[in-house]
Amino acid sequence: MFLLKLAILNINRNPRRSFITVLAVAVGLAALIFLWGFSDGTIERQRDNVVRLFTGHVQIHTVGFEQSLSPELVLKDRLGIVEKIQSQPHVVTLTERVKAEALIGTSQNSRGVLMIGVDPLREPLVIEIREQVKEGHFLSPVGNREVLVGYRLAEKLGVHIGDKVVIMTQAIDGTLAGYAYRVRGILHTGSLDLDELSIYTTLQSAQELLGLEKEVHELVIRLTSRAAIPGFLNAVKKTLDETPYEILTWDDIIPSVNQWASWAEAIIRTILVTVTIVIGVGIMNTIVMSVFERTRELGVMMAIGTSPAQIIRLILLETLVLECFGVVLGVIAGYLVTFYFGIVGIHFYGVEEAFSATYMSTVTYTQVKGIHVIQSILTLVAVTSLIGIYPAWKAGRMVPVKAIYHSY
Amino acid sequence: MDAPIVAVENITKVFKDQISLPVRALTDVSFQIQEGEFVALCGPSGSGKTTLLNLIGCLDQPTRGKVFFDGEEISRLGQQALTRYRLEKIGFIFQDYNLIPTLTALENIEYVLWLQGIPSAQRRKRALVICERFGIAKLVTRRPPQLSRGQQQRAAVARAVIHKPRIVLGDELTANLDHKTGTELMDFLKELNREEKITFIYATHDPMIMARASRVIRLEDGQLVDDLRQY
Ligand SMILES: Nc1ncnc2c1ncn2[C@@H]1O[C@H](COP(=O)(O)OP(=O)(O)O)[C@@H](O)[C@H]1O
Ligand SMILES: [Mg+2]
Repeated sequence: MFLLKLAILNINRNPRRSFITVLAVAVGLAALIFLWGFSDGTIERQRDNVVRLFTGHVQIHTVGFEQSLSPELVLKDRLGIVEKIQSQPHVVTLTERVKAEALIGTSQNSRGVLMIGVDPLREPLVIEIREQVKEGHFLSPVGNREVLVGYRLAEKLGVHIGDKVVIMTQAIDGTLAGYAYRVRGILHTGSLDLDELSIYTTLQSAQELLGLEKEVHELVIRLTSRAAIPGFLNAVKKTLDETPYEILTWDDIIPSVNQWASWAEAIIRTILVTVTIVIGVGIMNTIVMSVFERTRELGVMMAIGTSPAQIIRLILLETLVLECFGVVLGVIAGYLVTFYFGIVGIHFYGVEEAFSATYMSTVTYTQVKGIHVIQSILTLVAVTSLIGIYPAWKAGRMVPVKAIYHSY
Repeated sequence: MDAPIVAVENITKVFKDQISLPVRALTDVSFQIQEGEFVALCGPSGSGKTTLLNLIGCLDQPTRGKVFFDGEEISRLGQQALTRYRLEKIGFIFQDYNLIPTLTALENIEYVLWLQGIPSAQRRKRALVICERFGIAKLVTRRPPQLSRGQQQRAAVARAVIHKPRIVLGDELTANLDHKTGTELMDFLKELNREEKITFIYATHDPMIMARASRVIRLEDGQLVDDLRQY
């Protein structure tokens, strides 16, 4: 306690210098927290975007379907499995889809696309697809042979709302089937790929085209949250004979988001270490100066019986006290800034296209994970303390006589 | 005669460094000091007084010769043992008092007891008692810069004796005090010496201060030239 008091008093000797040092620690830490908040917020949002707009939380197919898109690989025991899934914990709702490779064409032009047949009533409960319709309307449950196309595809084909297109595909019996459809809506999905390569039609139309009865290819499941996925998967394992099925999470379907997240974290960790080294050297500089200024005093302290170990402890404690003030201030400032931008968000203008390739939103709401703050603090304290050993060790090695008669 | 508390045997101290020529600060000095003596080390500036005090005070080690404290040779002890020695057996008073400027007078005095691991309440009590005795009880909450030189030196003396050391070493301890304050301080030390049997060894070149010693050891050019007992 006495040593701590002495350390605090020593720091208070040159309040301005100490304050600047504390400020450096605080600003550094706050910046790191904000950086984490920015990254964590962006990535969380990317994950949300993928789940909300494209994949749902979990999808179930017949083994091999996702790879081959073979139309005959329909879900076995469709009704049984829907019932089983619906009774699992964490399940909010689910929807069925039919998916097939198809050719969409006008009299001038044709393109290969992925045709997705969705249940017009259930699909919007799982995926925010209505919001993606920027022109025209979403599929109606009663309308038949209507199609939604991505805006990029619409541009390439030169089609507009109300235009007729022909969709052709290979039915399960191997014959080529084709019908005329009317464009009901134009989509801006936020994914360049989807905007160019996919079309939506009703489940019923798609089944009709493919020659399916009520069979489907895909179940898309929405859970209470992403955090519920492991629990859900566990529960499914216990109740479902998995062998004919392939159960994929959003992350399995679009792994790039989490890959990007690991990459971003690696970069921030590098910045973290660099920043803490810089801060550590700053603190060390302060302590070296303050030790030098009181060489004589430290010599006297040693002369009257203070051991080198006690001197070392005192100087280390001074480093630690500076750190602590800096950390407290930095955490408060970091959280305030992160909290603020967590509410107002950080907007990026004119970058929709670049961002949509990685499922990023053009607004990031900063949101920091506690674990990252703790990691940053621990790294900071560890690195700066390690650097702080140097001046402490030097002070402890002073020879008292030399120190006492040290002239400035 | 009792065993001496300090015995110096044929010590020579040569300062050497890379830059300048070696300096011979002490040459073949020997003497013994009995417990309870009040010894003045005198001699002109540069004669080796400080060097000698540092050797007795376990702050430095002789190039040749031996220093004994209470019959134990201390001139060859390791760093840790020397620290212990200084803490337990020796009190230091410096020319410019050298109190820790951030601590109050009382905390400065307590500091030595803290080093010895004495609990806080007891520390405070003992420090207050000694301040009372030293006539600085009203000043204990002040920090050194707010004290006069005489008051600072009294606090420094209190710090030097609070742990009841066997000897107290003072280097030019009155040099920065005016004459009256200086002689008052010496009278006070003399009183402590009489009442507590603390052995004092102090370096000075002030004849008035020298006159208060029971024994005067004179150095010149690092050699002992005179050793007088006076009453
Ligand atoms: N650390 C040192 N390095 C080199 N020379 C020193 C050192 N300390 C003292 N001396 C020299 O030793 C001699 C004796 O010094 P000192 O003991 O300080 O004398 P005094 O205290 O009597 O004035 C002087 O010549 C001084 O310059
Ligand atoms: Mg001297």
